[in-house]
Amino acid sequence: MKKYWQVFQISLQQELYYRASFIMDRARSITIVIAFYAFWTALFSDRATLLGFSKSQMLTYVLGMNILRALIFSDKTWEMLREINMGRLSYYLIRPISYIRYCLCRDMADKCMHLVSSVLEVSFALLILNIPFYVPRDFLTVLTFLTASAFAMLLYFLMTYAVGALAFWTAESMGPRFCFELFLEFAAGAFFPLDVLPRSLKTAFELLPFSSLLYFPLNIFLERLDPEALLRGFAIQIFWIGIFFYFTRAIWNKGLQAYCAEGG
Amino acid sequence: MIPVIETRHLSKEYKISIKQPGVKGVLRSFFKKEYRSVHAVKDLTIQINKGELVGFLGPNGAGKTTTLKLLSGLLYPTSGSLSILGFIPSNRERAFQKKFSMVMGQRTQLWWDLPARETFKLNQKIYEVPDSIYKKWVEELIDLLDLKELVELPVKKLSLGERMKAELCCALIHSPEILLLDEPTLGLDLIMQKKLRSFIQSYNEKTGATILLTSHNMSDVEELCKRVMIIDEGQLLFDGALEKIVHHFAPDKVVTLSTSTPLVKEQLEKMGKIVAMNGKTASIEVPRQAVMSRLQALFSQGTLIDLSIEEMSIEEIIRRAFLKASSLKEIEPRTKESLEPSPEEKPNTSERLLP
Repeated sequence: MKKYWQVFQISLQQELYYRASFIMDRARSITIVIAFYAFWTALFSDRATLLGFSKSQMLTYVLGMNILRALIFSDKTWEMLREINMGRLSYYLIRPISYIRYCLCRDMADKCMHLVSSVLEVSFALLILNIPFYVPRDFLTVLTFLTASAFAMLLYFLMTYAVGALAFWTAESMGPRFCFELFLEFAAGAFFPLDVLPRSLKTAFELLPFSSLLYFPLNIFLERLDPEALLRGFAIQIFWIGIFFYFTRAIWNKGLQAYCAEGG
Repeated sequence: MIPVIETRHLSKEYKISIKQPGVKGVLRSFFKKEYRSVHAVKDLTIQINKGELVGFLGPNGAGKTTTLKLLSGLLYPTSGSLSILGFIPSNRERAFQKKFSMVMGQRTQLWWDLPARETFKLNQKIYEVPDSIYKKWVEELIDLLDLKELVELPVKKLSLGERMKAELCCALIHSPEILLLDEPTLGLDLIMQKKLRSFIQSYNEKTGATILLTSHNMSDVEELCKRVMIIDEGQLLFDGALEKIVHHFAPDKVVTLSTSTPLVKEQLEKMGKIVAMNGKTASIEVPRQAVMSRLQALFSQGTLIDLSIEEMSIEEIIRRAFLKASSLKEIEPRTKESLEPSPEEKPNTSERLLP
């Protein structure tokens, strides 16, 4: 599997080449952290708990969000959309390499870069702002959290590739992808914990695949789930992974058939 | 001779959506997409032997690229069959993919922001070329293509010609037995075109690889290919040696003459078809077998100052081939080769088609 290792390396080089846009992207996430830090600190100034969160839990949610976003929400599917639309995909199809695995390696390089940067940012924030960080009491919690995060990564991969496959049929796949991202951020709990929603809406959102991506793993880390909720969360995650596994595969097979190497 | 590329009655039909112009058209196609089907390749039967360097000529939209895409396995044929080295391309077997390569003139497989050498290395791993072989071979290619320090620069800094050379190098990392080149000289200046051609030729001679190149640049084919296929509107019009095309589609030679006295149109018309006439000079197309006998009359008048007898330019010949084909659609493409009319009795079909 040396070829995929090489893809990872060359992708990493490419990432380093676009330092400016990478730094911009990180600046965006740091801004989000600072904004939410200020917001929640203000709200917690006269109370000990809010929406069932303690102050340290809420601030850890914000910081954890930064790391999980870097790990889960970073991908190169925009690149993929371009490759399909411009017909560059042809070059991958005629070489002895699997395009999906190639994309995965490219995503991994992106994730690595973002993760390293995000961990540095969070450590920095912890030191400077003296944020009370919530440390899980049980080591098992960390293991469970890592497992849920791994599932979340897989689910996100399958979801974005299903949306990306739209590019096989329309040259305007960027639009749907943008809408997807907007809804995704909100529904995954990237802005606020889903607890801010009315109870019925929250329950509904928890059943959607999005909450499995960020909200669920972070709740594990913050030890806010009872065993029943934990099992339910994993069941929802696995259910959606199963659904998207078949759906994404089917839509890709269909897409590749429809692919006519545009232009020329 | 071993055929390495074989197609039988290969056809490919596309469906393309039609968009009406204007906002109204966009809205209309948003709700109701209309499709038109295009027959990009029609009943193509060809056979290419190992080591051949074949030129695939045709105007834009003739079906050249579609044929290459079918051969590379990017497209499924609508009907008919094809095989390369015994493989069916659209199965996209790894063993097949390691044996061929394709360069698409307008597209790049190089990583735009990185030095070309990085993509070479990537291809080495993708095609699983052993380090020891790769190191020697890549340096040889770089040397042959005169790339040297260019491979250390980000690809986007290269000129079109330099990029095309890097592109070729990248496509040859795994020493493919079959090389498909789609418009390799498109947009390049004459010197670069020449360099690329001589490289392609030496690669063919050195490795014995089978090369199929498409072009609408006649010089590519003239210099490189002994065998030429002409395709238009998806149909094969001609398949054979380049010299044969001349006999096929250009039964006339062009006689250009200058005289000391003004030329008489009626007299010239007896010689052949007048292409241009301007006082004391004229160009006439004369059937090749009759050139000498008809010129005799001129000599005897003794007013001749200058005379040249030339073959038509290949470009012109090909252009005629296409024009002739469109006016002779009912004739099967395959049979045309044997249909060579003797110049004397040949009806001058191209006459009204000349500008």
